[in-house]
Amino acid sequence: MLRQEINELLTKTGPGTEMGDLFRQYWIPTLLSEELPENDCPQVRVKILSERLIAFRDSQGRYGLVDEFCAHRGVSLWFGRNEDNGLRCAYHGWKYDVTGQCVEVPSEASNSRFCANVKLKSYPLVKVGDVLWTFMGDPAKAPPLPEYEFAQVPSSQTFTSKRLQESNWLQALEGGIDSSHVSFLHSSGLQSDPLFMGAEGNKYNLGDYKPYFEVVDAPGGLFIGARRNAEEDSYYWRITPWLMPSFTMVPPRGDHPMHGHFWIPIDDENCWVYTFDYQPVRDLTEAERQAMKDGYGVHSENIPGTYLPVRNKSNDYLMDRAAQKRGETFSGVGGIAIQDASLQESMGPIVDRTKERLATTDAGIIKARAKLRKAALALRDEGKTPEGVDPAHHRVRSASVVLPRNEAFIESVSDKLQVQPGVRQASV
Amino acid sequence: MSGWTAQGNTAQAASAAELRYRMSYPLVPSRGVRVVALDSGAEMVVRKVAASSTWNMARFYSAETILNSHGIHGAPVEVVLHGLDGAVESLNDELVDVDSTIMVATSDFGSEAAATIGAACSVRGIMTAGLVHGEDTEHTVSALRPYAQVLLVPADDGDLEAILTAMRA
Ligand code: FES
Ligand SMILES: [Fe+2]
Repeated sequence: MLRQEINELLTKTGPGTEMGDLFRQYWIPTLLSEELPENDCPQVRVKILSERLIAFRDSQGRYGLVDEFCAHRGVSLWFGRNEDNGLRCAYHGWKYDVTGQCVEVPSEASNSRFCANVKLKSYPLVKVGDVLWTFMGDPAKAPPLPEYEFAQVPSSQTFTSKRLQESNWLQALEGGIDSSHVSFLHSSGLQSDPLFMGAEGNKYNLGDYKPYFEVVDAPGGLFIGARRNAEEDSYYWRITPWLMPSFTMVPPRGDHPMHGHFWIPIDDENCWVYTFDYQPVRDLTEAERQAMKDGYGVHSENIPGTYLPVRNKSNDYLMDRAAQKRGETFSGVGGIAIQDASLQESMGPIVDRTKERLATTDAGIIKARAKLRKAALALRDEGKTPEGVDPAHHRVRSASVVLPRNEAFIESVSDKLQVQPGVRQASV
Repeated sequence: MSGWTAQGNTAQAASAAELRYRMSYPLVPSRGVRVVALDSGAEMVVRKVAASSTWNMARFYSAETILNSHGIHGAPVEVVLHGLDGAVESLNDELVDVDSTIMVATSDFGSEAAATIGAACSVRGIMTAGLVHGEDTEHTVSALRPYAQVLLVPADDGDLEAILTAMRA
């Protein structure tokens, strides 16, 4: 269990909250770049960290992320016109540029300086990889741009999707840290999913339901090693990195792409799950890319034109008891991402952690919460920049390896847990 | 169809409003949790946490190793537990009705004790965790690795307390 005040500290991310301030130290995913596909395309409503914003791409291709509401009388700029290097409010025509600066107030005299004084709050919006990132903290302290490998490799090698999850960000993240559920909840996916099946390591996953764990503190977050029996003299290790505040990677399988997630708070009861898949040294095949688009692997099948999963809370996630009985799914819910989402959403929008009873095997989750809390308090009390802001911390990889029984993952494969350009992932 | 059927009997019940109906009653605390310091540095960590809160189900000890009658280094040793008040307890007695044992180490000094405690827990189906404090953890970790289902490397000052709290110890 967790004391209620700590649960609140960790889950609330609006302006002025401790965890909200922590998130505002990082560049975080805000949109997929496909959501603003061309200059002067329609603007998009964005809610992130409990702030309502509008994102647009101007006539010169510059991205803007500004207060959703017009400074004049509070109309939503989603109804505005994105034209001629600015967003014009539909009500009385006030116009703003990508920095939120008002550049035109049609009712004022043409030589008036009125608009110079009108500015919407705005944040930078920058494309790195297939993602548009924002930094919502003190602009003077903006760190260098993110260097996560999935956003650094050529676009032919990477794919990112996103989906709405109707729960607080932390319970979603905790699912990414807790790798022991894979042998249960996702067991059938290991055998049938085109982005998982056929890997040598899968049989070890399914052959040993009682992994040993090593939770290793690292600059930027944690490495969580799960060790299962492989052969007589060897162990199968799956190593999951977590970077502060909410980036996790799944240990890879065979030659399948590497994947992971960002869990980004929309408000305290919803989050966006950004899901990426990439190959460090080769292009994704057409079949791989198509499978991702179709919602296989850790992606989700979304309602066309939206980022809302087809299987969702309003339709009981298309629960299929017959498929469960036939052994096609463990929980009756199809698709790995939605298997996770259905369970995490079932906990309620913000799970009541005063009612939990954790076990020793949850040490990774306990440690991650402790690190987040410590970092949030150090930021509040001492102004200390948290781990994971430094892009050097971003260059991690997950790994799956078979090691002799007397070797430890952290000593044997520490180089493989770092990005090595041009070097294939460590995966069995 | 009445409203409660629509809301309460579907996944839509996962709303804040519906969550109010999650029953509230005292949860059963965990069964016993044993915390064992394996060396003198670890004893300081354990003492601090023992005093930091009123624990219901956790008991705290430091381990003392007694070489077995053969006196051969590396051979199985006998472990005697000292309560923090100094009282001597037998390992066998203290592992009755226990769910988890947490071993705390700051060096590999206690690796033989860890082996004995780990083996005793394993035959009783007791989960074991190891918290390894300090900077140079490599030797301590490899000494504890075979006997701890979960290792925290390196552990810091708040970890033991956080784990005990999370387990409702
Ligand atoms: S409300 Fe936007 S211009 Fe008047
Ligand atoms: Fe999962």
